[in-house]
Amino acid sequence: MNIILKAGRIFFGIFSSVGEIVLFFFDCLKYSILDKFYPKIFLQHLIKIGYNSLPVVGLTSIFTGMVLALQSYTGFSRFSAESAIPNVVVLSITRELAPVLAGLMVAGRSGAAIAAEIGTMKVTEQIDALKTLSTNPYNYLFIPRILAGIVSLPFLVFVGDIIGVFGGYLICTKVLNFNPVVYLQNTYNFVQFLDVFSGLVKACVFGFIISLMGCYHGYNAKGGAQGVGLSTTYSVVSSSILILLTNYILTSFFFDL
Amino acid sequence: MRKLKININNISKKFGDKIVLNRLDLKVFESESLAIIGESGSGKSVLTKCIDGLLSFDTGTISFDQIKNIKNLSFLQMNKYMSKFGILFQNAALFDSLTIKENLMFANKNDNFSEILNEVSLPKSILKEFPSNLSIGVQKRIGLARAILQDPEILILDEPTTGLDPIIGKQINILIKTLVKKKKITTITVTHDMESVYEFSDYTAFIKKGKISWYGRSKDINKNGNLSLKNFIKGIY
Repeated sequence: MNIILKAGRIFFGIFSSVGEIVLFFFDCLKYSILDKFYPKIFLQHLIKIGYNSLPVVGLTSIFTGMVLALQSYTGFSRFSAESAIPNVVVLSITRELAPVLAGLMVAGRSGAAIAAEIGTMKVTEQIDALKTLSTNPYNYLFIPRILAGIVSLPFLVFVGDIIGVFGGYLICTKVLNFNPVVYLQNTYNFVQFLDVFSGLVKACVFGFIISLMGCYHGYNAKGGAQGVGLSTTYSVVSSSILILLTNYILTSFFFDL
Repeated sequence: MRKLKININNISKKFGDKIVLNRLDLKVFESESLAIIGESGSGKSVLTKCIDGLLSFDTGTISFDQIKNIKNLSFLQMNKYMSKFGILFQNAALFDSLTIKENLMFANKNDNFSEILNEVSLPKSILKEFPSNLSIGVQKRIGLARAILQDPEILILDEPTTGLDPIIGKQINILIKTLVKKKKITTITVTHDMESVYEFSDYTAFIKKGKISWYGRSKDINKNGNLSLKNFIKGIY
């Protein structure tokens, strides 16, 4: 009986959390229409989430591209299919790895920072102070961050695509002695608009998830430092799970699987 | 003739199973300074948060001037309602990623802040500082300046002297008294510092177990017959 009760509580807990997140999103949507927009705050977060995440996304992409080239070579060389390596690298990077890895890295970096910043503002009554100073926290805190997440992730993923493909190129031409011109030609011939486009759409969705989760969990932080720490953890974990889940759904949608 | 500003009627507030406010009644009159005192956890801060709209209450009504019950206000009406209040929060609640000037600009964009800084006895050079570089006493002065700059109808002071040494606490009390009397703002002060009560409050409400246990003139507080209040004042438990 106790186990059923606990399972029921967990189920309803998840269900009510999903409901709260959806309501939070609709409130953001409502106030983005009804109340004022803060372009300066939006630009600040565009730099924080987008530009400042470039090094970490770049490093992740280049090493992923390099490892992918090495591993593909190990497998493909067994049946003399080395010429397919540029294809594997560019498709894997643009369709899946760049968006998912950039999403996970930004969730750990910027999503956690958003939750910690808003959580600290919540527990130190700064959000209450905002309300009494005629400033809607949805418009001042949440909407600029969510928009910045949606706009900056595609930019990061596009850069990640280029760096990731370059990583594969570097290994294939400098270590595995591929012809550079042939490698680039193969890459160019194989890649299609939809491969890059699907990755960028995924990036928009991941950016939305990361910033929404950061804002939601930060806004619901309770207690003191421990509550802020928990909100950061929840933000990163929920963003990561949702990124992996929506990645599967979007892949099925784009490639009709 | 005292003019009624806020009428709190029979309000209750629960957090989970814990009853914090229990069918509480209180009246706040215009241009008067009301102190709300009581033990920690007795519901003082929750009561002020219900009054200024930062917390919703479960049952009862709070009327403010012509507004019959603030509970019926829409989100945007509530935003407008909240702007009637200037609040000095317990830990000042300055925006720590912004300079003092940017903090004050939230309350009034057009001011050059010379006058208000002079009123709270701070130099103009402080405008460039960040809150984290300032002591809590100075942060509270800035918090008070920010609250007053809004030109509020009601000033709420949440434990204005908590965390301050007795000398700075005394200075803050005198500062609040000067400002409140000069500007004739209706003031609600949440405190357990009796110095604040004696210094600048006209009336005092003593909360116990979520209800008003005693209400009267602050100057009569030591003549009261309420045992709980007597013990609270003397620090007897």
